[in-house]
Amino acid sequence: MNELKQICKDALTEKKARFIIGYKEDKNKRVKPFIAKTPEDAEKLTFSHHAVNNLAVYLSRFKNNIDGKIGIVVKSCDLKAVTALIQENQIKRDDLFIIGVNCSGVVLDVAKEFNKDNTQIKCKYCQAKTPPYYDALAEESKEFEMPDDDQAELMAKIDKMTAEERLEFWNAEFEKCIKCYACRQVCPMCYCEKCIVEKSEPQWIDSSSTSRGNFSWNIIRAFHQAGRCIGCHECERACPMGIPLTLLTRKMGMVAFSEFGYRHGTSLTEPTLIGTYSTSDKEDFIK
Amino acid sequence: MEELIISNDNLKKIVHELLNNDCRVIGTTAENKFKEIESADELVLNPGSVPTGSSFKEYFFPKTEPLFFYKQNHSNVDLFDPIPDKSKIVVLGAKPCDAAALPIISKVFNWDYKDDLFNSRLDNSLIIGMSCHYSDEFCFCNDIGGSPENMKGSDVFLKPLADNYFKVTSITPKGEAFIKEYQKYFEKDLGKNKPIERKVENPKHFDYDKVKTWLDNNFENKFWDTAGEMCLGCAQCAFVCPTCHCFDIIDEQNGSCAGRRAKNWDACQFSLFTKHASGHNPRDNQEKRYRQRISHKFKYYMDKFDEVLCTGCGRCSRGCPVSLDILQVVEEINSLPENSNSIQ
Ligand code: SF4
Ligand code: SF4
Ligand code: SF4
Ligand code: SF4
Ligand code: SF4
Repeated sequence: MNELKQICKDALTEKKARFIIGYKEDKNKRVKPFIAKTPEDAEKLTFSHHAVNNLAVYLSRFKNNIDGKIGIVVKSCDLKAVTALIQENQIKRDDLFIIGVNCSGVVLDVAKEFNKDNTQIKCKYCQAKTPPYYDALAEESKEFEMPDDDQAELMAKIDKMTAEERLEFWNAEFEKCIKCYACRQVCPMCYCEKCIVEKSEPQWIDSSSTSRGNFSWNIIRAFHQAGRCIGCHECERACPMGIPLTLLTRKMGMVAFSEFGYRHGTSLTEPTLIGTYSTSDKEDFIK
Repeated sequence: MEELIISNDNLKKIVHELLNNDCRVIGTTAENKFKEIESADELVLNPGSVPTGSSFKEYFFPKTEPLFFYKQNHSNVDLFDPIPDKSKIVVLGAKPCDAAALPIISKVFNWDYKDDLFNSRLDNSLIIGMSCHYSDEFCFCNDIGGSPENMKGSDVFLKPLADNYFKVTSITPKGEAFIKEYQKYFEKDLGKNKPIERKVENPKHFDYDKVKTWLDNNFENKFWDTAGEMCLGCAQCAFVCPTCHCFDIIDEQNGSCAGRRAKNWDACQFSLFTKHASGHNPRDNQEKRYRQRISHKFKYYMDKFDEVLCTGCGRCSRGCPVSLDILQVVEEINSLPENSNSIQ
């Protein structure tokens, strides 16, 4: 921890970063996002199993009003969002000072202790507990017990459903949605200045939280994440209604990989799946 | 009036009768959620549980509701009123921080315009509150004039006794009529069932008058630059809150010549909330929007309606994706010097 504080303190003192988006612990021991602006602030920075937030979500907000680099503390999975934003031309690598942290898994429920049953599923599939690139690296990665992947079971079940059964499953889930848009607001990949649900001439998506409005919102959100979701699980964690949102985005990520061999946010130079085409792409959907 | 008690079993029998009489019963379930229950067995009253994730306001102020329907017929437009829902609503197991919200938001729905949709639901309702045996770091009902035993907003109030009994207090004429109607299920309190004592303390954190005074004088304080800095601008906090009541009115087409005008939940944390048709937005960043949230709750609503627009339930903080804790923010305001009225 001291190492993280020291790295950030130095970065702020030496003006390697204008400010650092990181985590702090509040007086109730909740770990939450925090911006360190001075070397003294850096004393408050921390990292733990409870540092769940994907801080890359703040990059789109802060990128315009700064002279100098934005410092950001990232886990390996969060770095995928940073990479994806660079790939999508939302931010430049040179405008960032990346403080990678070696990670030992994060909790699902922030109110509970870290253990096997309170570990995010993404951690089970985490390719690298050390971020693949960074400007500075802190923390030590420790072994941890892998959680069960209940979601894979559910996905297999849904795959076996008929179209009607699937519709019924999702209708029942989307019925709960209250259109708070927390799923959109926490998502680092949802950076549109004007979201399609806010466009009213014409109105593409009903703004009412009716069955129709909820269905179209949740499906359009999922569509816009096809081949773009980097799997941080933040949307599902934020949803106050407990809708299993990552079932959709994870499935689409799996399809993007099986059909096109593409994983978003894993290469700074590879063109994005959505932003390019290749003559060898399948076109079997055009009939 | 004589002192009454009721057993959990008899309470369920009442619920059973209510359901048979086409009454809508809103109660807490085993998953600790408010839900329109379909059978008495679904009801689980647990005074020791954390407040539900969402409040029950949607049964009085739905997330979306039609104001009228329209149909275009050549050059004519026909308007239709929605069929009013006159069913009786009984809410069972409301915590003091849930029940207290109804009289608070009733004031805004009866200010310059009387909101018939809200009022008719409230008039047709009966709120059965229950004292609360829970408290965590997010709870602060005590700080805004409430308490775990507060009966504000309840028509009937239950206090847990030993052996699955509740002590019953009737608070309003509605509550009295209810007890009379179902009197066969109530028993005289012979003092045999001892009250269950509350185990947790509810500490005092701030003085809301002091917070109000600070808010009166510090609209431009630099405190606001950081208070809401990490807020993501979702509406989780407003939508789960029992006292947030903002709504939007929109026209929605359904087919080519028909549609409806609807009243939908809205929230001051959305960037579109204050955007003018000209494109100007007086609250053009999240910090200003967060200031609005706090000021509306602890200043504007007090100025206008003499009520804190908050019951201290802590829901907004428990669910906030960035753990922005309203209590800690207000506590910090409470600790600031009263006259730091300057842009520093
Ligand atoms: S996916 Fe990897 S880097 Fe991300 S929280 Fe889990 S273990 Fe850490
Ligand atoms: S859709 Fe969900 S899991 Fe995917 S990047 Fe966005 S917040 Fe993360
Ligand atoms: S977070 Fe959940 S409830 Fe809110 S808009 Fe998204 S899906 Fe709906
Ligand atoms: S305070 Fe939390 S819940 Fe409320 S808008 Fe901000 S991020 Fe969302
Ligand atoms: S503002 Fe928060 S604590 Fe206050 S009533 Fe609303 S949800 Fe409860």
